[in-house]
Parts: sequence; structure tokens; C-alpha cells
Amino acid sequence: MRLKQNRPDEEIPTSSMADIAFLLIVYFMVTTTFAATRGLDFSLPKEDDQPPIVEKEDSVLIEIRATGQIIVDQDPMEVDKIVEYLAPKLERNPKKPVIIKPDSDARYSGMVAVFDTLRQAKLHDGKLVMRADRTDLTDEEWDEGKDINISIPTQREIQSFWF
Amino acid sequence: MRLKARHDQKGVIPTASMADIAFLLIVFFMVTITFEKDKTQVALPKTELRFEVPKVAAYISVTEQGQIRVTDGEAMSTPVPSVDEVGAFAADLVRKYPTRPVVLKADGDVQYQQVDRILDELKQANVELIYLLSEQKTVDGDGQSG
Repeated sequence: MRLKQNRPDEEIPTSSMADIAFLLIVYFMVTTTFAATRGLDFSLPKEDDQPPIVEKEDSVLIEIRATGQIIVDQDPMEVDKIVEYLAPKLERNPKKPVIIKPDSDARYSGMVAVFDTLRQAKLHDGKLVMRADRTDLTDEEWDEGKDINISIPTQREIQSFWF
Repeated sequence: MRLKARHDQKGVIPTASMADIAFLLIVFFMVTITFEKDKTQVALPKTELRFEVPKVAAYISVTEQGQIRVTDGEAMSTPVPSVDEVGAFAADLVRKYPTRPVVLKADGDVQYQQVDRILDELKQANVELIYLLSEQKTVDGDGQSG
């Protein structure tokens, strides 16, 4: 006669698995930071020996004062009116450079605000339009438009090449 | 008549799925984690337009007080005493990693003079692409005062 054996169930102990996992979670939660990883891209022109000389008269000059006031071609202007002002000029000459020239004492955010506004406008079918006004276009269609020729010369470049 | 004592079943909270949930959370954190090379706290300017910054990039941070820290994206950021040092840093960066973009993480209230000199040093070092790090501007125009 075969004897009945009472063998205990074989099990892998997993009770501490959750403890280990939660320890790892706490580690990741403490070390993680949701970083700001977005911004405006800005291609720098190559530093040439003989850079193209931009005449002030051929361009639109946007100055930013220390007070935050924006002066476009000698006239004070609100940031949201700049594109409206540029439209007829750029529609005549799409390559016309738009120069941003902040004062030394101006706040950095002032320059970024103007740059952000200019980057939101593109020439489509010969018309300068803001992205918000052309919601009928897909992102791909919008990207096909022509960007404004924005230039942000540094103080050294202004002193060296402008006369 | 005396009733027979009832044998209560043992109450057990099922914890078998706890580890599964925990590991799912771990996977989430592992996928989303990025070890920031620069932990400087700055109040970034706000913009409506924002593009994703490449994961591998050099960082230059400028606080409102004008303190500058730099990193080539390989090690943690280190402070530099003045803007002049940024030029040497940028030249070294371009020599080692010619196509690496530079992310400028400057406080919105910093004087433009500082930013201007940094941009000038980067231009002279032939850095090709810069990102001006920003926060999302909300619809009510939050954050931009003059």
C-alpha cells in the first residue's frame, strides 16, 4: 500500500516584492524633476570675415527700451501691433530684415516677447499672417510659409558693422 | 440548545497585484525621468511658441543676479565667474561636439546686456543652434508685463 504524503505547497515568496518596488518608486519620485524642456529655437548665422552689411534704411528696426517700451521705426508700439505694421512692408519685400535691438538695460523677457510674436507670423500666398488667424491650415501647410527674416545683432556687431 | 461555535474565515487583503502596480509605476518613472544637468532655479520668460529641446544639449543658465553656470551636457553644471569664461567654454564645446545645440536658460528679469554678451560669445565660437528656454504663456497673458 502506498502511503499518502502530505507535502507542503511550493511557493516563491513574493511578499517582499511590493516593498522593494515601492522603495524604487520613492527613489524615482524623489530624484525626478519635470524639467522645462521647451523653448524658442534660434539659428545663429556663421561668423564670417565679411558679414553682409545691413543698412538701417533697408530694414525694420524694433528697439526695446529699459522701461519695456517697444519702438518700431522710431514709433512706440504695442507688441501685438507689430505684425500688423510689418505686413505691408514684408508683402512688398519678403526678404526685408527685421532687426530686434534691445537696450542693454532692458529685460531679457522683453526681447523674448517680441521674438515670440515675430516667430508666430509667416508669409502665406504673399500675405503676412499670424498662426492664430489661419487655423484652417494644418501644421504641415503652415510650415510651408515663409518666415520673417529676423535678426538679433549683438552690441559688438552693431558697433562693428553699422555705420 | 447551545449553538456550535462558528469557524470564522480568516480575513486576508489580497496583495498579490500590489507588486504589479508598483512595477508599472516604476516603469513610468524610468521612462519619464531625465537627469537634469543644470538644476538652477530661474523664472523663465513666457512664450506662446515652444519647441522641444534636444535631450543632448549644452546648457548655460543665468540667474536674475547674473550668476552663470555652464555644462556641455555630459557633467553637472559648474559656475563660471564671468561672461568672458563663456567664450572659452563655447570654443571648447564646439571643438568637442561641433553640432551640439546650446540651451540658454536665463531668467526673464535678467538685464539684456548679460544675454547679449553670452550670445556674442556663442556666435564667435560658431555655435550653430541656440534654444531660448521658456515657459508656456497662458491665454490670459500671464507673466509678460511690459
